Amino acid sequence: MTAAIETVEVSKGYGRRLALTDTTMTIPAGRVVGLVGPNGAGKTTLLHLAVGLLRPTSGTISVLGDTPGAGPETLARVGFLAQDSPVYPRLRVGDHLRAGTWLNPHWDGEFATRRVGELGLDTRQRAGTLSGGQRAQLALTMAVAKRPELLLLDEPVASLDPLARREFLQTLMEVVAGHGVSVVLSSHLIADLERVCDYLVVLIAGRVALSGDVDDIRASHHLLTGPQRDSLPAGQTIIEASHVGRQSTLLIRTTDPIFDPAWTVTPVTLDDIVLAYMKQARDAGVADATPGLAVAS
Amino acid sequence: MTRFAWLQSRTQTLAFFAALAALAVAAAVTGVHLSHLYNDLVRHCEVRGNCQLGISAFTNHYNFLQGAFMLLLRLAPALIGIFWGGPLIARELEAGSYRLAWTQTVSRRRWVITKLAIVGGTAVVAAGLLTLTVTWWYRSLDSIDPNMYGVIDARDVAPIGYTFFAFMLGALLGAVIKRTLPAMAATLGVFVFVRIAVQQWVRPHLLSPLHKTMSILSVKDFGFISSNGAPVELTARGSSPPGPWELSSQLVTSSGHVATGAERAAFVQHYCPAVAAPPPFRGGPSHPVAAPPGIREAFDTCQQQAAKTFHVLVTYQPASRYWTFQWLELGIFLALGLVAAGLCFWWVTQRIR
Repeated sequence: MTAAIETVEVSKGYGRRLALTDTTMTIPAGRVVGLVGPNGAGKTTLLHLAVGLLRPTSGTISVLGDTPGAGPETLARVGFLAQDSPVYPRLRVGDHLRAGTWLNPHWDGEFATRRVGELGLDTRQRAGTLSGGQRAQLALTMAVAKRPELLLLDEPVASLDPLARREFLQTLMEVVAGHGVSVVLSSHLIADLERVCDYLVVLIAGRVALSGDVDDIRASHHLLTGPQRDSLPAGQTIIEASHVGRQSTLLIRTTDPIFDPAWTVTPVTLDDIVLAYMKQARDAGVADATPGLAVAS
Repeated sequence: MTRFAWLQSRTQTLAFFAALAALAVAAAVTGVHLSHLYNDLVRHCEVRGNCQLGISAFTNHYNFLQGAFMLLLRLAPALIGIFWGGPLIARELEAGSYRLAWTQTVSRRRWVITKLAIVGGTAVVAAGLLTLTVTWWYRSLDSIDPNMYGVIDARDVAPIGYTFFAFMLGALLGAVIKRTLPAMAATLGVFVFVRIAVQQWVRPHLLSPLHKTMSILSVKDFGFISSNGAPVELTARGSSPPGPWELSSQLVTSSGHVATGAERAAFVQHYCPAVAAPPPFRGGPSHPVAAPPGIREAFDTCQQQAAKTFHVLVTYQPASRYWTFQWLELGIFLALGLVAAGLCFWWVTQRIR
C-alpha cells in the first residue's frame, strides 16, 4: 500500500533556521495518524510540505505516491485544514460552500450542505462572525467535502474549548468511518489525539523520535520501579530514569517480557510515553537527538 | 476560479461602480450645461472677433468641478493600486487564507493569473470609464486650452496605463511584502516615484523635438539679468507656435552654439555700457528709482545690436504630437504593468514556498 506521506532526508530551512533536518519517515495510509511534538518541532512545516504549500530545501517528499502540489490532480487528493482554521471573514458561510463547488471537481455539495445544517450554521452568516468552534467545523466541512483520499489537519483543536474540541473530533470520527479517508492530525498535546488516532508519530526538533501503532507503543513501554542498578538486560532501552534515594523509576522500551522479580511493573499512559521522549530529546540536546527510534510493528 | 475571484472582489467592484455612476450623472448634467455655456460665450464671439472676455467668463464656470475631476483622475490610478492591488495577495498571506485557497483543487498559477486578470481587468475598465467621463466633461474647456500637454496625464488613454501599472505593482508588492498596510504604502511610494521619473526623465526624450529659431526682435521677453552681484547678462525667451510643449528656449550665437554666461556678459559690457553699470540701487518699494535719462534709447540700441549677434532657439514638441505622446504613455505603463504582473506571478508560484 502506498504511504500517506513518505519523506527521504527532507530538510526545510527558513533563512538560516532549519525547521526540519534530514527527516526520513513513513506515515502509513489508511490510518488516523497523530503527529505529536512540542511547539516548533516542525509539524506545521511537515504538513505544509505535504500539501505543497512549501517545497523542501533538500530531500524528497511524496504524498500518496505523488509530489505534493504538482498539479490540480494531486491537490484534489489531499484535503487540508490549516492551523487556526482560516476562512474568508467577509464571505458568508454559503459563499464558502459555493466556492468549494467552483474550486473542486469532486466537491460533495450534498455532504457540505447537510453538515452545515447539522451544525446549525446559518448560510447567510459571515464567516468572520463565527465562533472558533464553528469556524473550525466550517473549515473541516470544506476539507472533507473536497472528497480527498488523505486529510491533513494542522492543530485542529488547539484553539477550541473542551466542548468544541469534543464535537470537532466527533465529526472527524464520523467522517473517517463514513468515507474511509486517511487522516494525519497534529497537536502538541497527545491527550487531544489519544481518543481518535491509532498511529503515532512523535516529532521533536525536526526529527522523528518515535513512530508506530498506538497499541504497539503502549505494549512495548513499561514503567519499572525498584532498587537502583547499573545495567538492564539487552533489548531493554531506558527512555527516562529518575532516582530517589536507592529507589529508581525507569521508563523502558522493550518487546521482550520482563522477568526480573525486583521490578514492580506498572502500565504507562501514552501521555507519559510521549512526554518521556520529549524530555529525553531535550536533555540529549537538539543537535544529537537520536533519530528514527522506530518501534517495530 | 473565475467565479471565486468575482465573489471576492464583488463588494469593492460594486462600490466603485456605484460611485462612478453617481459621478457620471453629475458629469452628464453639468457637462451638458457647459456645452450650452460654450455656445453662448465662446462660439458666438468667434464670429464677432474678440473672444478673451467670453473665454474667461466661460472658463470660470464650475471651477470646483474642474479641479475635482482633474484631481480625481490624477488620484484614481494610485488609489486603485493601493486599495485593489495592494491587498489582493497581501491580505491572503497576512490573514492566512492562502492556506485555504492554495489547497483547493486549483493550481497556484491559475489562482494568481485569474485574480490578476479579473481584478486587474476590472481596474482597467473602471479607469477607462472614469477617464472617458472626465475627458468628455472637459471637451469644450479643452478645445480652447492652449496647453494640452499640461493635462496629458489626466485625459484620454494615459490614465488607463497608470491604473494598470499601479494595480499590478500593488499586487506584486503585496506578494513580496506579505503585509497589507506596508504593501499599500510601498505601492503609493513606488507608483509616485515611477510617474515622476517618467514625466521628468523619460517623456521628454521619447520623440526628438522640433527646433525653431527666432529673432530677438520678435520675442516677447527680452531684458537683462544680474544675480548676486554677477555681471549683468542678456536674457531672451522665445515662444513657440500655439499649443506645444516647450522643452527649452536658449540664446544661441550666430555660429550656432549656446551663448555662455560670459559671452552674454561680455556683450552687455561692450554694447550696452549704460545697462552694464546701472546706478546704485538706493530705493525700495516706497521710493522708486527714477530711470536715468536716455536709458530707453540705450535699451533699444542694445536690442538692435543683440539681434545681430544672437538668436533665440526654441526646442519644443508640436501640439500635433499630443496623441502620439498619449499612446506612448499608455504603452510605457502597460509594459511596466506587464513586467510587474510577470514578477508577481513568478514570486507567488516560485518564491512563496
